[in-house]
Amino acid sequence: MTATVTAPPKAPQQPHARAPRRKPVRSRLPDLIMAGPAVLVFVLMFIVPMILAFVLSLTDWNGYSLKFDFIGLENYRFAFRNPRTVDAAIFTAVVAVVGTTLCNIVGLAVAVLIAAPGRVNTVLRTIFFYPYIISSLIIGFLWSAMLQPNGVANSLLGHVGVGPLPFLIDATWAKGSVIATILWSSFGFNMILFIAGIKSVPTEYYEAATVDGASRWQQFRAITVPLIAPVLTVNLVLTLVGLLKVYDVVLALTDGGPAAGTQTIVYQILKDSFARSALGLGAAQSVVLLIVTAIIGLAVTFARRGAEQKVAA
Amino acid sequence: MSTVRSRGTLAGTVLKWVVLTAIALVMLIPMYILVISAFKPQAEIIQQPLLIDLSTFTLEYLKEALTSEKFNVVRAYGVTLSFVLMVNVLGIALAAPVAYVIARGRKKWHLGMLLLFVSGLFIPGQVTLIPVVFVLRVLGLINTVPGFILFETAATLPVTIFLFSAYLRTIPRDIDEAAALDGAGQIRAFWSCIFPIMRPVVATIVVLNSISVWNDFVSPQIILGPSSGIYTVTTGVYSAVGQYSTDYTVVFPTLLLAILPAVIFFVFMQRHIIGGLVAGATKG
Repeated sequence: MTATVTAPPKAPQQPHARAPRRKPVRSRLPDLIMAGPAVLVFVLMFIVPMILAFVLSLTDWNGYSLKFDFIGLENYRFAFRNPRTVDAAIFTAVVAVVGTTLCNIVGLAVAVLIAAPGRVNTVLRTIFFYPYIISSLIIGFLWSAMLQPNGVANSLLGHVGVGPLPFLIDATWAKGSVIATILWSSFGFNMILFIAGIKSVPTEYYEAATVDGASRWQQFRAITVPLIAPVLTVNLVLTLVGLLKVYDVVLALTDGGPAAGTQTIVYQILKDSFARSALGLGAAQSVVLLIVTAIIGLAVTFARRGAEQKVAA
Repeated sequence: MSTVRSRGTLAGTVLKWVVLTAIALVMLIPMYILVISAFKPQAEIIQQPLLIDLSTFTLEYLKEALTSEKFNVVRAYGVTLSFVLMVNVLGIALAAPVAYVIARGRKKWHLGMLLLFVSGLFIPGQVTLIPVVFVLRVLGLINTVPGFILFETAATLPVTIFLFSAYLRTIPRDIDEAAALDGAGQIRAFWSCIFPIMRPVVATIVVLNSISVWNDFVSPQIILGPSSGIYTVTTGVYSAVGQYSTDYTVVFPTLLLAILPAVIFFVFMQRHIIGGLVAGATKG
């Protein structure tokens, strides 16, 4: 096996092309059998659909039959001119940017406070993290039940003489409620990654800094932040890319309302595709989302790589 | 760390614990309300959200949710659990051998294959969902369990193959040769000698895949669809709670039943879940 692989693959040197006798015959066929099924399934369910997304975005496919006509760039033109889609895109961008900022600030702040080992910190970590493993659809329904006009939150506020507040029935409040629910349910994930990053920082650095008289804030700025730069990158990319496709929590919390004020791009895509049977239009918006996601993901990764290298240098 | 902590002032320490306690309360109160409200009548849920009055405590609503005709939650547990098992078994059976080939190969096409799978990490599932519906319709698998399992399995492959091949690179090649000396074929040698060594990374993957399949809502909603009559926990909750979102005696018991398995899983597997998420995020 080793011999086969390390041998330089220069066939021209050996005119009788068969190279080392038994190895290729032995390893090729099993390789194919071992790799084939996974490649087949993946190509069928990922690569072919990727290409099809582009093709279908140029059609008026309704999803039910297999018949459709090509209508050029009409879907894209419609999507970009449709105020519904534009509003959804703006709200999605707000959720992604504000949500990512809040989740990472809170996640990092809490991580710094409870990164040290200890029983209390372990319990706190569990408390902050647990919503992450619950389906975001159910999180959305839970908060929807609590934030209704006659719900638990307003009842509690009433006891202290406040409210009732229009958490879900005023468009601006509803936008805030969506972001707050996302923060509640997912900063724990960012926190867990930050804690893993902080734990990988050698404690000697902090000890040395303490001896030198550095304050805790100075230690945070000069040691923690630079050394967890790669974790910060991962956190930013994952949260940002994840929030660009936010859907479940919105569906359950506000169902896109009130007055379509909290519709996100994926909400729009699925509504057009399956409630309005315009899958061609849905595909066009998906393609735009894919391109935007890829650009943002790559941009943040490269921008952060710059920051990480500056630290390393 | 103790030297570091002693530098903090008393006021700082107090502030830290006040903040942490406040956040902990914000995290726990919704769950507390969810649990106690499942045992209370509507009026009391609204008027006394934080209290539980033993005189009106009732199991009636929970029983109603358990036996609801709209949403058979016990059946949904079974359905969702069997999907989780199928996707795990199929995903690992497909991913492990290909990851081995990738990890041991040094040719360009091995790297190409890895890149092909890893590209899947950057494609949001929602983007491919519409064309997947098209492909499944062509194959005659739309609104069927095999179609759904096929899609969910494919969705697990990128992370699984990435983590498996990274792990396999850390296993010395001597083991391959020892297995080959036994006279076993490459495939049998892989499953009998290499795969058992992969236990830690297989555990990580099982945890990650189980959570994502259990919690997935969009794929079962679109690919299985209400017309299939097959409900997972999430699609069942959506159909049961969707219309009644202000009848709290339906909402809270249903939500409690829906989260119960996930919470139990979390309590027992917490270390693995957190470890798995960290591994999945930082290596991927």
